[in-house]
Amino acid sequence: MTMDMSRYLGLFISEASEHLEALSRDLVQLEREGSSSAVDSMFRHAHSVKGMASSMGFEPIAILAHRVEDLVDAVRQDRSRLDRDLVDLLLSSADALLAQVRAVADNKEPAEATALLQQLSARVTTITGHAPATTRVARVTVLKPAATTDAAAEPPANPEPAAAAKAPEASAPAPDETTRPPGAKSAPADPRPGSSAGGLTSGAGAEAGAAAREPRPAESLAHDVAARPAPGLELSGGLQAAAGGALASKPEGEARAPLQRWAVQLRIAPTCQVPGVRAFLVHKRLTTLGTLLDLRPALEELKAGRIPDGYIQVELETSVGDTGIHSALRNVAEVEVVSVKAAVAAPAPAPPAAAAPDSARASAEAGGSRTVRVRTELLDYFLDTVGELMLATARLREVGKVLPENARPELEEGVYRLHTLVKDLHDKVMSARMTPLSLITDRLPRAARDLARRKEREVDLVITGAEIELDRAILDELADPLLHLLRNCIDHGLEAPEERLAAKKGSRGRVLVAVRRARDRVIVEIEDDGRGMDPAKLKAAAVTRGLLAPEAAARLTDREAFLLSCLPGVSTAKDVTDISGRGVGMDAVKRVVESVGGTLEIDSERGRGTRFTLRLPLTVAVVHLLLVEVGDEVFGLPIAKVVGATEADGETLSRSRETALLPHGNGLLPVHALDALLGVPAPVRRGLRPFVVMDGDSGKVALAVDRLLGQEEVVLKPLSRPLDLLPGLSGVTILGSGRPVFILDVPRLLSA
Amino acid sequence: MAKRVLVVDDAIFMRNMIKDIFASGGFEVVGEAANGLEAVEKFKEFKPDLTTMDIVMPFKSGIEATREIIKQDSSAVVIMCSALGQESLVMEAIEAGASDFIVKPFRAEDVLAVVKKVLGEV
Repeated sequence: MTMDMSRYLGLFISEASEHLEALSRDLVQLEREGSSSAVDSMFRHAHSVKGMASSMGFEPIAILAHRVEDLVDAVRQDRSRLDRDLVDLLLSSADALLAQVRAVADNKEPAEATALLQQLSARVTTITGHAPATTRVARVTVLKPAATTDAAAEPPANPEPAAAAKAPEASAPAPDETTRPPGAKSAPADPRPGSSAGGLTSGAGAEAGAAAREPRPAESLAHDVAARPAPGLELSGGLQAAAGGALASKPEGEARAPLQRWAVQLRIAPTCQVPGVRAFLVHKRLTTLGTLLDLRPALEELKAGRIPDGYIQVELETSVGDTGIHSALRNVAEVEVVSVKAAVAAPAPAPPAAAAPDSARASAEAGGSRTVRVRTELLDYFLDTVGELMLATARLREVGKVLPENARPELEEGVYRLHTLVKDLHDKVMSARMTPLSLITDRLPRAARDLARRKEREVDLVITGAEIELDRAILDELADPLLHLLRNCIDHGLEAPEERLAAKKGSRGRVLVAVRRARDRVIVEIEDDGRGMDPAKLKAAAVTRGLLAPEAAARLTDREAFLLSCLPGVSTAKDVTDISGRGVGMDAVKRVVESVGGTLEIDSERGRGTRFTLRLPLTVAVVHLLLVEVGDEVFGLPIAKVVGATEADGETLSRSRETALLPHGNGLLPVHALDALLGVPAPVRRGLRPFVVMDGDSGKVALAVDRLLGQEEVVLKPLSRPLDLLPGLSGVTILGSGRPVFILDVPRLLSA
Repeated sequence: MAKRVLVVDDAIFMRNMIKDIFASGGFEVVGEAANGLEAVEKFKEFKPDLTTMDIVMPFKSGIEATREIIKQDSSAVVIMCSALGQESLVMEAIEAGASDFIVKPFRAEDVLAVVKKVLGEV
């Protein structure tokens, strides 16, 4: 029976990644607080990853995880060895492991981390005084990246060499189980919800090939016992009672039978991976039967797995007879009773007491939550489908309007019911998509540590409200911007320790990431207590780069001026560092935040610090639109960006060069004709016409439209190729009338 | 009647794999637990014929959980799920009353062979 490991690939990738991210978090926490629970938790994470990787046959991952486990274990024994370099090394290892897992996800071979392995074992050697044991990853199941068909449907490439791998005389596995071809027995029902045919491996693992199998020679498995402290192994009468488990078949009334000596010869199956433990189990069983008078090899040798050819000689004094001996060992796997012969009888101690079942003892809270894991793509699919359902319902309602009066009530009742159900379903699907922000904020402490170290800053990062939930789709988008803002705070915001001291501040900078709910929005604030931003410098930079007219710059409030830092190319940083000076910039942060329907604000005070405020919608899928008509076309404008609407006579507007200017508040806004921007033919309008005032990238703008059609809550659907390449379109929706409507991204439209 | 199994492991990955192995062997997996605390509770709840027990788990180790389960029911059959390198821990678990053990990475046929042997089905 060959197990098809490819079906576990998706789960391996997600769970191993979680463990590795948690490992990094623990490390940062450990370095900061030195808590011993963090070390234990780190050990578990490394250990879990090792176990999973070796099960999947990903040897490089298993080996590296094992070495990390070794080092963590060494640190566990002697906490004083934990220093910055060691944390760095472990963090790099966690990163390398993550990279390996990602490689696997991309259907690539995980790279061997030779240099890291050497460093890790060097540290282990320094701390423990001996080199770590060679990693014993049993190469049982090897996933071969194969370009062939779905593994699940295919018979194993290498038929299981069961006969060769199993010593024929040993531990006789159930023949019907080992010889049955895969699939002959009813295929195991997939217990995971949401993993429809091959679904689990979608993307990452769909190509992962048939699980080929390499039998591992038993000899190559090292037998030494690991370096962990051995628990007290002396047997006592009390402990014997505990071994009653599999001995239920022990004959009754044995106490009255005469004591007799038996010479027992046993053999541990050569295929046994841990003969030492196996021998120990046998020893344990036999001691429950009576007194062990002789044991060869000696117990310590047995435990260490030093058993020549697997043979064990025991002289046992017991009253259970040879049948009792046989039955006590019958249920032990991988052990063959070679012979049981009578030896000379002798007086003996009392037989062991029977185990007394203790009444059940309650033990703390059991996990009451019943949760399952669902792939994000599946949630996307649910949402998409519910969106279609909403659209179909709206369409039905429209159709009903043209029916004769007397036919309407029944249909309308049905449509109403459908609408309620679909709305309810939509709410449930949305709530299933809600994910705590900790999913992305959990990475920040690690990032802060690395940044602070590179910049030689001292930083306290405080995160509050990370339990607040947001739509997973928004979270995914937000990860990079949040990281960039943090970088910005540490890199540009916070001063060097000596500069801080000179400014009468504490040498340690502080960055606060505070998340809170405000009605249907989530507010994320990232705040530092650094040097603050200089609005005058920002204005000057924008003017120098030709992004802003000097007079327009003069009119900007400080708050507006801070937002200039989001224009490409405007930055007051004196030097471009490798930390936040490249890659995703403030302009990208603002764009992403707005693309999910949020807004970005910046407040800053010189010498006191800077605060970035992100106001985010809970979900992206449903957006409020202002529908406008241009010519014969209808377009949607996100209400979130609409400041207001007004009417004016286009002919009478004042002009600056070619651009018409609409009076708004105390100022004038540049007017853009939507028909011209979109290339939609529209008749020339005279007299009053509506204008929509919207937030643009560099201040408000007015859009000239032909008609305001009203507001609508719609389900946003992303555009697919090639429409998504058109700048200025952020999505599409279908109105109840069945009419598709494009949703406009006005800032992009203006800059296109 | 199919023998009833409780699967204890802190990794969903492992639990799923073990569950699949048992399903393929005609066993009924009646419950699962992600740590030692849960394991003891679930054991009480389900009274399984067999429990597979991971060793390194949060809140309460598999060894501790085994000790408590055996204290509840001395005839409980607990099979430790161990990894190479955990020999001394497995021995500790055997002291605590574990009936047998299997070694990760698991091979379905090995797991089923051990289990059937322990349950006296061979």
